[in-house]
Amino acid sequence: MLSTSGEHVPGAGGPVRVAVLGTGVIGQDLVSRIGRSPWLRCGLVAGRDPDSPGLRRAAERGCPTSADGIRAVLASEEPFAVVFDATSALSHAEHARLLAPLGTLLVDLTPSRLGRTVVPAVTGVTPPDSGSVSLISCGGQAAIPVVHALARRFDVRYVEVVSTVASVVAGRATRLNLDEYVATTAEAVTAFSGVSDAKAILNISPAVPPAVFRTAVHAVAPGADPDEVRAVAGETAERVRAFAPGYRVVACTASDGRVVVCVEVTAAGDVLPAYAGNLDIIDAAAVLVAERHAARAAAGAEVVSA
Amino acid sequence: MVHDATLRDGQHAVAHRLGVAELRGYAEAADAAGVPVVEVGHGLGLGASSLQAGRAAVSDDVMLSTVREALRHSRMAVFLLPGWGTSADLDRAVAHGADVVRIGVHCTEATLAERHIGHLRERGTEAYGVLMMSHMASPGRLAEEAALLAEYGASGVGIMDSAGHLLPDDVAERIGAIAGAVDVPVVFHGHDNLGCAVANSLAAARAGAGVVDACARGFGAGAGNTRLEVLVPVLERTGFATGVDLYGVLDAAEFAGRAFVPAPPFPDSAGIVGGLAGVVAAFRQHVLRHALPAGVDPRDVFFELGRRQAVAGQEDLIVDVVAELSSSGRARTGAHADERKEGTA
Repeated sequence: MLSTSGEHVPGAGGPVRVAVLGTGVIGQDLVSRIGRSPWLRCGLVAGRDPDSPGLRRAAERGCPTSADGIRAVLASEEPFAVVFDATSALSHAEHARLLAPLGTLLVDLTPSRLGRTVVPAVTGVTPPDSGSVSLISCGGQAAIPVVHALARRFDVRYVEVVSTVASVVAGRATRLNLDEYVATTAEAVTAFSGVSDAKAILNISPAVPPAVFRTAVHAVAPGADPDEVRAVAGETAERVRAFAPGYRVVACTASDGRVVVCVEVTAAGDVLPAYAGNLDIIDAAAVLVAERHAARAAAGAEVVSA
Repeated sequence: MVHDATLRDGQHAVAHRLGVAELRGYAEAADAAGVPVVEVGHGLGLGASSLQAGRAAVSDDVMLSTVREALRHSRMAVFLLPGWGTSADLDRAVAHGADVVRIGVHCTEATLAERHIGHLRERGTEAYGVLMMSHMASPGRLAEEAALLAEYGASGVGIMDSAGHLLPDDVAERIGAIAGAVDVPVVFHGHDNLGCAVANSLAAARAGAGVVDACARGFGAGAGNTRLEVLVPVLERTGFATGVDLYGVLDAAEFAGRAFVPAPPFPDSAGIVGGLAGVVAAFRQHVLRHALPAGVDPRDVFFELGRRQAVAGQEDLIVDVVAELSSSGRARTGAHADERKEGTA
């Protein structure tokens, strides 16, 4: 079960205090998701530019804000239960090092290569008690469920994942981190498929109106049958839709040992524009991990108090 | 200055299958003709050999070492699309002796080039920034983006008419706007979908472009690039010195005509429609490969891709569009009259 709805509700301690590092498109979406979660309470949004629109919007939502970045997180009197890192891959390593002694769960939305990787439909969302969880990349979140399912069913020799993100929802850190995106996504594709020969590609589309987030999975899989590929892709999409309802298979072919499965992800709900599926799928996964952590803490507290 | 993209953009015309003998033979001929820069690589640049865009016959390493060996005077250039190739690919290319690197980003996405231009500048390599699909942005916007590329440290900036959509006046306006916004040489790279590549390149030179791209026999994506062996004498006749030997460049074109199979591209139906619709020229082979077996009119596929503003790298969209047109029963009915009217807007 990927959804936290219908499970425990927060115990007497109330929702857990979380912080968001980064005020770009991902950080802003996380803040609004935290506001809607019964399990999480926004204790801090930290950026580095006091004039950034993201920081202003967070303040308008009633979140405490700071332009001191990680220093503001460390200065908090009690540690945050969860810190979301929506900065950049280069900054993340430093953030992970500084937060490690505090026992905080760090949920990483940058394409760094640290922490335990989570792809909800494949790994579930239970995090370690502390330390770092990596969400890999938006393309990784969209592709890996399909890659994993194909590799379990067929003799896959090579995998390639190509994602397209609309320009308006590719923030500055994403633009500077394309090399890390490519390396981290390819590495995760290999880790979840066992296929050593893997490649990842990212397009940023300038189209207006913006293009819907999309990922194509190409595989060399001798003998793959088109009907079976369709069935595998369909079952996989169903599982992903448990937490990202806008995830759907839009094309599926298999011939001469070449498989192509294309998925598109539209953002659900009324906060993000529909094309921003790249934010939807990774931010939804990040919040699920944090909620599971909060639920576990609440369950633990009940056991202790009983 | 003429920049020879035959061994990079020309790869699109032969499904990225140029082998060592073709690469060496052409590079030697271009070098002998006095062509100042010879660009080499997969059609979409370093690291781009893929199922999505087509697999190259030989690796980047083999392409670069073969061409480097063949060039005695000409400088060697490579191309990189951020998100396809990475800094590691750039470092390998520089180690192979690449003198010039071009970083390509779509028209409004200059910020994607910041890191890679910076990476090259730190290592003392000459880096250019080029804006692809330049028909999708206004002259003013392109000038702003070009100014950003120059700010990142690009030694030259410019535009590619990746869809072969622009006409000479469009080119002059865009190059003029960019030349007014930067102090570095301005690049123009044309495609011949509407038969205007040489005229567009001449318009670019007259509007202040300092570097004009061309390919032998027009070998390039879609309906082909600006023909090198035509451009050189046209530029000379209009007062732009190229330093390229006429007989030498004609010989290089003869070599390309003999050695690169199949025949050189020209503005056929797919090319003309692709140009009108503003579809990236590199899609041509992929559209034909998917549309024809499905019984779908490739011209309809181009118009639909144009409506969706597909850009280089989004080859996976072609499968969807063909399937949709096929299932909607619009195959070969010419149901895109509306888009046709809008195509040149």
